Amino acid sequence: MTTINREVTPQGDLPENPERLHNDLHEIWGNPRGLKALTIVNHTTLGLRFMVTGMVFFLIGGLLAMLVRTQLALPDQDFMSPDIYNQVITMHGTVMMFLFAIPMLEGLAIYMIPKMIGARDLVCPRLTSLGYWCYLFGGIILTFSLVLEMAPDSGWFMYTPLSSSEYSPNLGSDFWLLGITFVEISALSAGVELVVSILRTRTQGMALHKMPLFAWYILAMALMIVVGFPPLILGSILLELERAVGMPFFEVAGGGDPILWQHLFWLFGHPEVYIIFLPAAGIVSTLIPVFAGRPIVGYGWVVFAIITTGFISFGLWVHHMFTVGIPQLAQAFFSAASMLVAVPTAIQVFVWLATLWLGKPKMKLPMLWIMGFLIIFVCGGLTGVMLALVPFNWQVHDTHFVVAHMHYVLVGGMFFPLIAGLYYWLPLFSGRMPSETLGKWGFWLTFLGFNGTFLIMHWTGLLGMPRRVYSYETGMGWDIFNLLSSMSSFVMSAGIAMVLLDFALHFRFGKPAKHNPWNADTLEWANSMPPSAYNFVSLPKIETRHPLWDDPDLPRAMAAGEHSLAVATHGRREMWGTDPLTGKVREIIHLPGNSWWPLFAAMALAVVCISLLTRLYPLAGIAVVIAALFLLRWSWENGAHPKAAPDAHVAPGDPSLHSRTMDGPGLWAMSITMLANGSFFLSYLFGWFYLWTVSPEWRMPETSPLSLVGLVVAAVALTVGGGILEKLVRGLRQQRDAGLAIGMFSISALGFVQVGVTLWVLLSANLAVTETSHDAIIMVGLAYALLHGGLGAVLTLLQGLRVGYGYVGAHAPFEPAVVAQLWRYNVVTFWIIVGALAVLPRVIGS
Amino acid sequence: MTTTMQRLHLTHPLHFVIGLTLWCTWFVAVYGGHAVACAVAPPAPEQGVFTLVNALLLVVSFVAIGILAALTVGCYRMAKHHQGRLRFNATVSAGLYLFSTLGVVFAAMPIIGIPPCL
Amino acid sequence: MRLSIQRLTQQRVNLPGVPLALLAGLLLTGCAGDKSILDPAGQAARDVVMIWWVMLGFGTVVFVTVVALWLYAFKRKEVTRTPVQERRIARRWIIGGGIILPVASITALLAFGVPAGQRLLPLPLGEPPEVIEVIGHQWWWEVRYPDAEGGEVVTSNQLIMPAGEPVDFHVTGADVIHAFWVPRLGGKIDMIPGRVNKIRLEADEPAVFGAQCAEFCGAQHTQMQLYVEAVERDEYDAWLAARQTDELTSLAENDQQHEPAREAFMTHCASCHRVAGLSTAGEGPDLSDLGSRTSLGAGIMAMEEGAVTHWLKHHQRLKPGNKMPPHDDIETATLESLGAWLETLTP
Repeated sequence: MTTINREVTPQGDLPENPERLHNDLHEIWGNPRGLKALTIVNHTTLGLRFMVTGMVFFLIGGLLAMLVRTQLALPDQDFMSPDIYNQVITMHGTVMMFLFAIPMLEGLAIYMIPKMIGARDLVCPRLTSLGYWCYLFGGIILTFSLVLEMAPDSGWFMYTPLSSSEYSPNLGSDFWLLGITFVEISALSAGVELVVSILRTRTQGMALHKMPLFAWYILAMALMIVVGFPPLILGSILLELERAVGMPFFEVAGGGDPILWQHLFWLFGHPEVYIIFLPAAGIVSTLIPVFAGRPIVGYGWVVFAIITTGFISFGLWVHHMFTVGIPQLAQAFFSAASMLVAVPTAIQVFVWLATLWLGKPKMKLPMLWIMGFLIIFVCGGLTGVMLALVPFNWQVHDTHFVVAHMHYVLVGGMFFPLIAGLYYWLPLFSGRMPSETLGKWGFWLTFLGFNGTFLIMHWTGLLGMPRRVYSYETGMGWDIFNLLSSMSSFVMSAGIAMVLLDFALHFRFGKPAKHNPWNADTLEWANSMPPSAYNFVSLPKIETRHPLWDDPDLPRAMAAGEHSLAVATHGRREMWGTDPLTGKVREIIHLPGNSWWPLFAAMALAVVCISLLTRLYPLAGIAVVIAALFLLRWSWENGAHPKAAPDAHVAPGDPSLHSRTMDGPGLWAMSITMLANGSFFLSYLFGWFYLWTVSPEWRMPETSPLSLVGLVVAAVALTVGGGILEKLVRGLRQQRDAGLAIGMFSISALGFVQVGVTLWVLLSANLAVTETSHDAIIMVGLAYALLHGGLGAVLTLLQGLRVGYGYVGAHAPFEPAVVAQLWRYNVVTFWIIVGALAVLPRVIGS
Repeated sequence: MTTTMQRLHLTHPLHFVIGLTLWCTWFVAVYGGHAVACAVAPPAPEQGVFTLVNALLLVVSFVAIGILAALTVGCYRMAKHHQGRLRFNATVSAGLYLFSTLGVVFAAMPIIGIPPCL
Repeated sequence: MRLSIQRLTQQRVNLPGVPLALLAGLLLTGCAGDKSILDPAGQAARDVVMIWWVMLGFGTVVFVTVVALWLYAFKRKEVTRTPVQERRIARRWIIGGGIILPVASITALLAFGVPAGQRLLPLPLGEPPEVIEVIGHQWWWEVRYPDAEGGEVVTSNQLIMPAGEPVDFHVTGADVIHAFWVPRLGGKIDMIPGRVNKIRLEADEPAVFGAQCAEFCGAQHTQMQLYVEAVERDEYDAWLAARQTDELTSLAENDQQHEPAREAFMTHCASCHRVAGLSTAGEGPDLSDLGSRTSLGAGIMAMEEGAVTHWLKHHQRLKPGNKMPPHDDIETATLESLGAWLETLTP
């Protein structure tokens, strides 16, 4: 292991002086200071920023929770007016879900994943940065509504018609819809790049079945984000269109259906629970083997459980809707599916148990939090199975029983493992150890406070106390239980304050940690503590699942530059691109450096968001164009652009740079993005067919308003363009680039033909989008097609220009293959749109 | 049969997701088909469970169970022929196919006992 | 400060604050209550409570066992084992606890649970049950009896139902989504604009139940309470008969002393409120039998002398955000005469 890998280090060179190598790498990777710190794209810095920001939002959400418990401490309290109370409960749920739980765990994954899989950064560093800024700006916009006393007040689930302009005329709902959609850009971008990073940038030899379990969990979480968030984004766009323009998607009189919102919301909302739970369970699966001092038993079982959970969680959404009057047989499907998810969860619990059973477990501070997790989560899981039973659900749905269950699952299933993980990784963040005393106090106060608050709340719910009431009258038997809940909640916040104090103090006063203080097995502990901007001086070849247990000398050897890619003379940020299955090296991935473009693009998007809120639509339009220009400018600095890789030479024997191959990570990023896009598109089709078949007052004209001829002409233009592009890409694969620029320009022209004809079809259809949901939803479908067609045309146009600049060609054939994926997607979806919107209504009739 | 199974590359990790994707597809087909059937041609409540809707849903479920069970057996056999990474892939796939098969069985049970559109 | 005179649903007061022993408190006084799921008054609710206690018992056993095993794993002495033994032990745990346990549990649960759900379904019966329509408004309840002999009967914020027989509730929402839920009788069902949902409930014997909107419906979701009373069949028939429109028409016209109040009603109230014989249905609750109800403002305050006047004067303070405009522009004397008259509207 410790010998130099001759195949990949520069020939004949002995490792350079490690000191100098560090300095050289730091020169390339290091973070700038001052204002330029805003350009940082490094995953370590951005991961920390995500987590710190997440903690700030956690404090805001926690404060709101304390306000709620204060109000409910005694019957008939008048501490907050009903109006304010409703804003507070809505924002508590929204902040905790969207601004704390998801970004916090994403931040942890962003920080941890490259270090665990032996990479130097995530695969799209600028995307990490864009994600962070979108999260920050979106979060600020959303929470600012609280200051204005204009916060959303229809509940964090925003059910229509309550959230519609008729029943919520103020800006609250708009803050929610626009702010959350903005924040979701961040979740999606992190989701995409985590998937690609895990699949394509693991260090040499780390085959899929040797990956740390945490990476499996994050892979599942990221894929679930990619598939699960788009339905809500679609729902938010539709609802905002209804509020702003009056398109009646959810309004019965206009042919819409409020239940469509519930489907779209919970299509996202249920997977969301597992998106939060899986990474937390990943922390548990990482910590337990370390503290048991043995490998996890049943690695394969855990992988099985992760994949099962990920999939089944998409088949459960209707269990949030058992009382909307869906036929009982359909409810029974979802009831059964909801119970099925108990199987993978139980498997994990017993894998953990067996690992402890067969190991020599030690009750260190992180393990204390894991025990807390176990107790609370098992309890929440059991009530979860109960809630899956339809008749029981009908009784306790929307009571405090559900509030209790949900907090057991989310706080138990996410917060406790998170704190365990943070305590575990603190020495890595800071190089110092936390205080055991303060930590134990913090744990016990939090644990007892939590159970005091929420265990009792089950009972309050069974006594009939509904959710989301701002007060209750005395004499229902609820008084004492509410008082106990409220008192315990303050104990819990004292505990959490103590934990945060411990975190804050340890950076200054903590004992310096020795290297790998918990004797862990995974690669992140081969970093220096705190880690450098480039993580590893040299990238190792991995043979086992437990590199640090099997070779304790590995960290030293890596830091001494005895492994691969220990060169910095070329001035580029680089790491391995490996095969997703076997972990064999395929190419060298070169990464972009710090950049202003993500910040600028996010700022432009923030202007879009604010101007939509304030109904300044022309400004919003201008800002959209500016944001698009920033993003395109960003994409310009790719591939063979001198800023992307100043020096394209590689050491003899090394594979070439990814931009000089046909299979870089960008191809994967585009595929995963199209997966998200496809999920959005399927949600749209679901909406169309749902309204068509189920909506109570659906009205469809006798003949379709869309010109079939026009649409087919547009589709043919698009298809021909796609065909030419495929041919050009095949040529590039064989090193031929004759006529590349002309080809790209003509494809672009065909793309613009499709856009023009589609636009003509749309305009000549004379849609009454504010009258019927039928016309409104057709409008959305065609707008989707126009947007995609336009993007495809512009990107091929830019490709043509890049050929002229010499950034693309036989020497750098990568980008056309990426653009071809988008075109393929556009061709398929456009034909589906033609079929669903124009052909089917003609065949079936209304 | 054997050649079909060979052509499916049952040691590829893509099979981690195919089984549950089929499960999801079955689930959506049954749920969606049921919703459409109840919207278009709901059978009379007096018929109880002996309706065309229940029968069709059962047929679809049996097809899904058949496919998934065959793939379970295929992956299980394939796992025995390999070692290391490929064995891991085939074993986990077999487990996931088995779970998907039983998942269909379990979630389809209500079709036998509940009238469709109430 | 809320100016509640006396709150409505206190017929079944139980003692608050028996914190001596929490467990004893839970078991002795805890289960009763107007809206308590644990104090069922109908078969559907009773089935659910039975299922709950069984699930609680079983869940507790599972919970205690799992946690005890985990804790024991920290305490037990080390044993050296061969890898083969380790694999066998691990597989036993995972298959036993991770597969057999949950599969057996959920199969049993589904087998018990599905039949219990059937009871709430509007399955065909030999004799068609009584139908009562309930319509949710922000933030009050409209209750209609379409099958009443001699024509439909309409009332608000009170639901009188026959005891000892199944009743089908057909529910919908007039504005946003609400949910109809009488906890002691059985499960809840959403009231959705544009749809009619059906649920079948049965009260064992005459009693009064609390009910409240269960789906968050805006500012006054909390104060959307419904008074539910199950009465014997003949009493129910008599109650309906007394509310036939003809009876009420005569009521609205009798008695000259309230003539000014009736005129004020026609000026200020009649565009929204119906009083049989005087005005037709509008956006607000039907007031035809207001004097006979037990509460005002969907459960805000008990109906007693002077209550209506008090409500008319202070309703935006008692129930902030409710859709009735404030009455600052109407003279106090007029409000008082209106209140006095409305209280006389009893069949």
